[in-house]
Amino acid sequence: MLVVVVALVVALFLVAPILIVVPMSFSTAISFQFPPPGYWLGYYVRYFTGTEWLEPTLNSVVIALGATGLTMALVVPASFGYVRFRFRGKSFVNLLIMAPLVVPHVVSALAYYGFLARLRLNGTHLGVIVAHGVLAVPLAFLVITATLKGFDRNLERAAMSSGAGPLATFFHVTLPVLRPGMLVGALFAFLSSFNEAVVALFIAGRGAATLPKKMYESIRLESDPVIAVVSTLLVTTVAIGVLVSVLARGRESGAA
Amino acid sequence: MGAAYLKLTGLVKSYDGRTNAVDGIDLDVARGEFVTLLGPSGSGKTTTLMMIAGFEEPTRGSIELDGEDLGRRKPYERNIGVVFQSYALFPHMTVAKNVAFPLRMRRFPAARQASRVREILDLVELGSFADKYPRELSGGQQQRVALARGLVFNPDVLLLDEPLGALDKSLREQMQVELKRIHREVGVTMLYVTHDQTEAMTMSDRIAVFNGGALEQVAPPLEVYHRPRTRFVGEFIGDSNFFSGRRDGERPGLVLLDGIGAHRVARAAWDEIAGSTVDVLIRPERIQLAGEGDEARLPNRVSMKVGVIVNYGDSVLVIGETDGHPLRMRIAGAQPDAIREGATVTVGWGPADAHLIRRD
Ligand SMILES: Nc1ncnc2c1ncn2[C@@H]1O[C@H](COP(=O)(O)OP(=O)(O)O)[C@@H](O)[C@H]1O
Ligand SMILES: [Mg+2]
Repeated sequence: MLVVVVALVVALFLVAPILIVVPMSFSTAISFQFPPPGYWLGYYVRYFTGTEWLEPTLNSVVIALGATGLTMALVVPASFGYVRFRFRGKSFVNLLIMAPLVVPHVVSALAYYGFLARLRLNGTHLGVIVAHGVLAVPLAFLVITATLKGFDRNLERAAMSSGAGPLATFFHVTLPVLRPGMLVGALFAFLSSFNEAVVALFIAGRGAATLPKKMYESIRLESDPVIAVVSTLLVTTVAIGVLVSVLARGRESGAA
Repeated sequence: MGAAYLKLTGLVKSYDGRTNAVDGIDLDVARGEFVTLLGPSGSGKTTTLMMIAGFEEPTRGSIELDGEDLGRRKPYERNIGVVFQSYALFPHMTVAKNVAFPLRMRRFPAARQASRVREILDLVELGSFADKYPRELSGGQQQRVALARGLVFNPDVLLLDEPLGALDKSLREQMQVELKRIHREVGVTMLYVTHDQTEAMTMSDRIAVFNGGALEQVAPPLEVYHRPRTRFVGEFIGDSNFFSGRRDGERPGLVLLDGIGAHRVARAAWDEIAGSTVDVLIRPERIQLAGEGDEARLPNRVSMKVGVIVNYGDSVLVIGETDGHPLRMRIAGAQPDAIREGATVTVGWGPADAHLIRRD
């Protein structure tokens, strides 16, 4: 009983901001005000018709896609190596891969600022992609190694005894069976970059300003209600993303 | 047995370089034979299969198929089918796609793939399941699909690693009959791993008994049952009473059993046992209640104190002891009046009922 009550309270705390932000995005008020004095779509129009907000949105998407690609390129081979082979220093490697998870983002941000400055990559898309790509490694690694550990290697043996060479085995059996787990790993990487604010504030500069960075600056300078619109759109996008991945997983792994 | 088709010679596998999971196995299998590898868990059966399939490299020894050394061939160049306990069906493919996979890898024309898949699905009686996914099938059906996939490309040998291990008892028995039928119809050489002795007894042409990575005996089921070569085999297969004893060199036909005394055995068996120490096996169903007047038929007799009685309906298992030595007796039919818990009865057996195993 107590558990249910606690769960409901926690859920309320998690959902409450959404319940406030979504109505505010349709508000007629010129600043933040709750409850809204009236409703219109004016701020949505403002979001979609100027480059002020669309440009950071595009930056965010490009950077998140790039970061996802980088993360997967690092994590997929690392996961295969980590799960399938025994080697010296394995637990140290694990610790190293997990490090971005425990280092505070401000510290990482500072480090990236210094590092990328030497490469003259501050304020560029590539710079943010590198930082976000590395930051998402632990999450994706957790998801993909878990998928790999659950993979029955007899599937590969069955394929090989059926006459499939290493490449055919990988593309006809290993990859399709692992695909749902890989997609979830990629989705996590994408969202982790898309939501990241601290590192972006330090290194994105003008040229590669992401949506979270723009939102932060906007709220500090002008309390523009367009932020409520952006938040609503973000929540919706994330919700759809998670829903799609859950559905895809359910369909591919079956009801069993 | 004809000429060896599959020939394992001095096969050794060590995973860690210190202990041998498979420790020097010699085994000849004839074409079309059904040979069961039977042994306790961890005795090296799976490792042996994995080496034949090509998934593990032998540390020493050779594997020949039809006179050709398989050593240099990759698993996908071997033409050997494998069926796993976990089925290992491809979850993203339908039944038909799973079964067609080996044909696809061998680049069969589509029309021939389709007709061959239909044919083999009919053989395993899954003709109407072609478009289902593995997750929509029961365990028994999934194992039939795995069997079909292993057979569809007419492999030289089919390896089965505890294929019925995950099924419940009645389904297992049904599948045993099915497997035998399929073996008869297809005639493929089968190597079948199990740790279930009943399964081995009912299905095999020959049984190879594994223990600690080595073979204890390779023989037809009834020979393994009645004439085990080692005490391990006698104890592992079927219910058993074992006594240790010495051959009485002075009196032909007599063996002195520890705790029981002089014991008459068949003369031929006595002659065969050259050494002096022996293990004597008497199967529980060979022991009977002894009465007045049947001393000639049952010259070996002891008094048995009845402990536990297990009544199976069609037979009764009596567990008791004689002079502190445990004794098991199985009586066919109904439970005799004399058999009651705590009672002491005279039981006996004939000279031919004892099997002698020489001890080194
Ligand atoms: N991949 C492996 N790596 C290391 N040891 C193994 C491996 N596979 C099996 N073994 C060991 O080899 C021995 C024989 O195992 P196995 O062939 O699986 O026996 P069985 O199939 O008869 O149960 C066991 O001691 C087991 O722990
Ligand atoms: Mg095994």
